[in-house]
Amino acid sequence: MIDKNTMTVKVEKSLKKRYLKEKIFKSMGFISVAVAFLFLLMLISDITIKALPAFVQTQIILQVDLNEQDLGITQQSSVDEIRQVDFRRVIRAALKKQFPQVKKRKQKKDLYSLVSVGAEYQLRDLVLENREILGTTLNVTFIADDDVDALIKGAIDRNDEESGRRVKDFKLNLIETLEKHGQIEKNFNWQFFSSGDSREPELAGIKGAVLGSLYTLLVTLLMTFPVAVSAAIYLEEFAPKNRMVDFIEININNLAAVPSIVFGLLGLAVFINFFELPRSAPIVGGIVLSLMTLPTIIIASRSAIKAVPPSLREAALGLGASKMQTVFHHVFPAALPGILTGTIIGMAQALGETAPLLMIGMVAFIVDIPQSVTDPATVLPIQVYLWADSPERGFLEKTSAAILVLIAFLITMNAIAIYLRKKFEKKW
Amino acid sequence: MNNNTDQKTLDSMHAEHGKTVGQPFCKDAKFSTRNVDVFYADNQAIYDVSLDMGKNEVIALIGPSGCGKSTYLRCLNRMNDTIDICKVTGQLLLDGQDIYAKEQDPVLLRARVGMVFQKPNPFPKSIYDNVAYGPRIHGLTSNKAELDDLVEESLIKAGLINEVKDRLDSPGTGLSGGQQQRLCIARTIAVQPEVILMDEPASALDPIATAIIEELISELRKNYTIVIVTHSMQQAARVSQRTAYFHLGKLIEVGETNQIFTNPAHDLTEKYITGRFG
Repeated sequence: MIDKNTMTVKVEKSLKKRYLKEKIFKSMGFISVAVAFLFLLMLISDITIKALPAFVQTQIILQVDLNEQDLGITQQSSVDEIRQVDFRRVIRAALKKQFPQVKKRKQKKDLYSLVSVGAEYQLRDLVLENREILGTTLNVTFIADDDVDALIKGAIDRNDEESGRRVKDFKLNLIETLEKHGQIEKNFNWQFFSSGDSREPELAGIKGAVLGSLYTLLVTLLMTFPVAVSAAIYLEEFAPKNRMVDFIEININNLAAVPSIVFGLLGLAVFINFFELPRSAPIVGGIVLSLMTLPTIIIASRSAIKAVPPSLREAALGLGASKMQTVFHHVFPAALPGILTGTIIGMAQALGETAPLLMIGMVAFIVDIPQSVTDPATVLPIQVYLWADSPERGFLEKTSAAILVLIAFLITMNAIAIYLRKKFEKKW
Repeated sequence: MNNNTDQKTLDSMHAEHGKTVGQPFCKDAKFSTRNVDVFYADNQAIYDVSLDMGKNEVIALIGPSGCGKSTYLRCLNRMNDTIDICKVTGQLLLDGQDIYAKEQDPVLLRARVGMVFQKPNPFPKSIYDNVAYGPRIHGLTSNKAELDDLVEESLIKAGLINEVKDRLDSPGTGLSGGQQQRLCIARTIAVQPEVILMDEPASALDPIATAIIEELISELRKNYTIVIVTHSMQQAARVSQRTAYFHLGKLIEVGETNQIFTNPAHDLTEKYITGRFG
């Protein structure tokens, strides 16, 4: 037998070592978390800083003369008649009136390009909304061209050499004159949230991609959730334990590891070429993504079902509940929080997925905002990719802004899932 | 089939049986089991157990851990069906009907043979819904008022009503351990079974809660046949009329509880109840 005193000494000695080990592990864990958090912070702050200018829009105020005779319409004209009017002429006239000294053809081109090409539609919509302005002269705020926007926001440096500057001296003079007269304003960019994609950076908005993502995810959720949950319940509770089921199980796990672009090829071959579903549409995107999400949700749901305590099953069975009643009255509700967590992980994956959607044409340039799941659309990550790929300066900030919107979308989705999970957990 | 077996046949059966000492059979049996073997895959857990359980009798199954008493108990309402590798052979008759016959529905059987488990396992629902669940799935009541009455009656029988009557809507999982176990008993009674199986119902409870449960068992005996597995010999002595001693999957001795605890016939039984092993 060991002497009492030597025993205490030995334990004390080893205690020091044990606590040291614990301390080292704790600090290492803390460092890992801190590093991960730091990277996240860097990423988010970098993107946010780059994205901020995208939420501000440069606008030019011009005095336009909406003379009914010149335009050839009256306040009683039909919508179609108004639509046919060339409002570009009115804007050009307004610019010419302000800068009468501009005569040369090339200089005129510079002058006219101060406002965005979308300005004429802006004016047309304004007239359509309120006809009373016809026949009057009034100040209208137009969206500035992306070069003007870049210059005002400082993305183009006025002090650079003219040869290396995108906005030449002549145009710079025009802009500075407008600035002096207080005709240039910076306002919050509502347009970014209310319009679809465009070739012009100042007109491009995110709404098309947001709705595209929303429709796609809706299809994915509706396709995946019932199928995945039924499959998980069947495999976990009803399926006989034999080789066939083992084989299916292995293949579900394999499916989760298949590169996503393969699902895109499958979607192209099966849904578009064989079933002739529309190209570039959220319905096809949703189906393809649901193939990809299916194994994730099945695996998560199965482990959630497995984690339900057997005592709950026994309690129900012991009362004479049938297998089906046991599963749907007790096991499924108890597993639901876990199933929802798995679903949201799967959906978040689907939201960020790009590769399979490239294969089914959702990478197309689509200006119209999709109205249903069969309309051509694009999704947020592809919008990011498309804008990142565009040469115009203005798209740089739009890219970051789109990433921010994507992250916001993701956070909203997660928040809803957490809320639902909490709600169902309360029943315990 | 055993209802009218006379003493002579019983004795001869006993002689044939050979291994079990005492009186495993009784007249007017509710449950009657013969030559039951249970296998988990290749491992045999129960060897040739023959035992009767009489009407309105509390029979205690005792024995060291792993002796197969719980396994045997779970054969009686076919809970072992849920374990794929478990195989039960032999004859198990409830009121003379083979409960392992093809035409016997396990769901119906479990409605007739209720079970209370070792660990209280109320559903994560309200106290009311816990008790009402069984009657609801079996369609025992035709309207809300009847169901209310049945729930109340069950809670009265389980001796829980005074503690919960003001909070029937609060979750059953919020009760104390002893209350939860009584809730589980109320839940079982609500289905109006003929036999109640109890698998160490008081092993997770303190002495006060245990005493309440034991009192309850003696009360329930008037209406039900009760088979109780227990590790506490005092408990077996207090609540049961007959006691069966299991050892390594074999039924060693069955007898009047008094006799088993005062004058056991078999060596193993004596060693166990005197605490020399187990």
